[in-house]
Amino acid sequence: MLSRPAAKLAAALVTALALAGTSACGSDPAAPAGDPTAPIEIWVRKPPGSNTEKTHVALAAKFTEKTGIKANVTALFDDFETKLQQAAAQKKLPDIVVNDTAQLGTLVKQGLVRDVEQSKIDGSGDLTPAAWDAAKGADGKFYAVPFSAQSFALFIRKDWREKLGAPLPSTWDQLDELATSFTTKDPDGNGKPDTYGYVIPGSTKRGYLDWYFSSFLWAAGGDYFSGKTGSLSPAISSTPSVAAAQWLKDQFCTDKSVVPGAITSETTQAHPMFETGKGGIYFTGPYNMARFDKSLGKDKYEVVALPAGPGGKSASLAEGENVYLMAGSKNPEGQEKFAEYLIGVDGQTIGMAADTDGNVVRLPVNKNVDLAKVRADKRWLVFDKVYKDAGRYNPVVPEWTPFRQASAEALSAIVANCGSDTKGELTKLADKFAAELKKQGTGS
Amino acid sequence: MTRTTPWLFLAPALVLFAAFKFTPMWRAIEMSFHEVRPYLGDRWVGWANYQQVATDEDFLAAIGQTIVLALGQTAGSIIIGLALALLLEGSARQLWIVRTAVFLPTVAAMAVVAEVWRILYYPAPDGTMNTILGWLGAGPSQFLNGEDSSLLSVMAVGIWRGAPYDMMIFLAGLAGVDRTLYEASAADGAGIFRRIWHVTLPSLRPVFAILFTLAAIRGLRVFTEVFLLTNGGPNGSTEVLMTLIYKLGLERGELGVAAAGSMILLLATVLLTLAVQFSRARGQKR
Repeated sequence: MLSRPAAKLAAALVTALALAGTSACGSDPAAPAGDPTAPIEIWVRKPPGSNTEKTHVALAAKFTEKTGIKANVTALFDDFETKLQQAAAQKKLPDIVVNDTAQLGTLVKQGLVRDVEQSKIDGSGDLTPAAWDAAKGADGKFYAVPFSAQSFALFIRKDWREKLGAPLPSTWDQLDELATSFTTKDPDGNGKPDTYGYVIPGSTKRGYLDWYFSSFLWAAGGDYFSGKTGSLSPAISSTPSVAAAQWLKDQFCTDKSVVPGAITSETTQAHPMFETGKGGIYFTGPYNMARFDKSLGKDKYEVVALPAGPGGKSASLAEGENVYLMAGSKNPEGQEKFAEYLIGVDGQTIGMAADTDGNVVRLPVNKNVDLAKVRADKRWLVFDKVYKDAGRYNPVVPEWTPFRQASAEALSAIVANCGSDTKGELTKLADKFAAELKKQGTGS
Repeated sequence: MTRTTPWLFLAPALVLFAAFKFTPMWRAIEMSFHEVRPYLGDRWVGWANYQQVATDEDFLAAIGQTIVLALGQTAGSIIIGLALALLLEGSARQLWIVRTAVFLPTVAAMAVVAEVWRILYYPAPDGTMNTILGWLGAGPSQFLNGEDSSLLSVMAVGIWRGAPYDMMIFLAGLAGVDRTLYEASAADGAGIFRRIWHVTLPSLRPVFAILFTLAAIRGLRVFTEVFLLTNGGPNGSTEVLMTLIYKLGLERGELGVAAAGSMILLLATVLLTLAVQFSRARGQKR
């Protein structure tokens, strides 16, 4: 026979199991209980231990000082969305998530975020209207509070360019020419053909390749969709879109000016290619300046806007981070207060972290913050100008992730196989887009 | 002492299994019939998830690639593992050191192994593997970055890692081979290859059975090396079932479809294991 304590333990386990079983099967949406003093749990997509994490911790501390509400920051970087899905499956979401604007649709679709009434957020009127666009769902409601904005620009190895006596590119042809010279003319002077032009994060993971490509697509006059929000039809196989993809393919297949291994590189694997002098042209975001200043040297590279494409347009993917107020919070009021603090002049200024690499606000979303006053580094103004003149957010659809993923896979098919039929692949992609639009109920 | 006593003894194990195995499994079955939305309530969709899996081109391609990868890794690991075992059998101290060195890849963490191989495979002409290929007058290869070479490259890493493990099992088997059989066959004038073919291999039959069973179970669930080396790319040429299920479930949030895929994978694993067991049982009867 079982000894008594063991029997008790077994009984307790069985009971606990039964309870766990019932609670796991419940499907009622957790109603906010509303405890205005409950601590706020915050997840940020930043590398743990980084200075950006420290900035978020500082922001949370200031918030606690101001409101008396405790706030605890958890920094996660790799597979952030996966971990969030896991937390959601256990119904243990954090109260606040600060993450990419592009995640909005997915979060809304799964019901992981609650909607935000603009009028209820103090200081919402101080934010730039463009920034609010990034917080809008396909149904026109707002599901987040914008926190940070950013655009993209070309990082070019200045020392290489000057050594070869090449001008700063002002057209795409010149850009390609520069990339080819970097590949063939030994700009680092080590006598070996071990340098290349473009650094590209070409993995399909998280849709990186499409994320990289979108600015070029728009600048070439192409687009993902035509029509208005709610009645979209695919434009990804249109002539300018095909030309943009062909241009990308030529870099891989004809000019061979792309760093080897690009097709399976994520950003974490692409950054070192630029830092270690494998590639000399990298189209990326301002957050890399601090890193490259340290690893490569500020004098070694320059930051310039992407020249207008053959379509005569300038374009840059605009994105940034939103403050998401997650579902099931014990303290909805505290969630709003935290968001209000982050978008205020104080929160934004602390978040910008002057010229250090701890910046979590890339470009401020609050009109009353003067970028040039907070930061002495003039390169930020390049990104600011690009954002204001040519910034474009991802198309507004209920869920952007499937489009991004499908597009990245199609582009991967095009550039990975030089014998591929660019137009044919994009036509197939357009069919997938049409099916997905229909599935999401926004097709024409 | 009644009928319930054995159950009481089993209870702790059963409770733990129920909590950590059976409940999640049951939940997965449930999810495979729903559109899963944790905060909005799941929506019943019947067989739609299974239908989507069974007709999806990507899934069919992934199944094919999983089988190719499983077969290639199993065959490669067994052949190289056997060769290593035959070479390194014995009790000399030097052999012991070499065996330990050979076994290291199996012990090293997969994340480290993958990152090292990514560096070795760097597809420029001056990459490590390409330099070696250059000495042999071949290459340069794109390795992980070429559609034609990616699956083979992943397979090679799998074999590199799996062969020493198989070697260890073979070594254990070889120790049990009756020495007198070797002497007798040598006396009959059998050369080294005949001795391997007629004595060693038949004596190792149970070892092969174990290795095939393990391979059948493991082969279909290959994930880590693919995820870390290529994440299914380029152009889906290394996508296997597990990476696809992972992507669907945890990157796109289609937990229902991913659960349906997992169920099919579970079914296939069970069938394959039973098939291996069955053929093994028949082999023993003969």
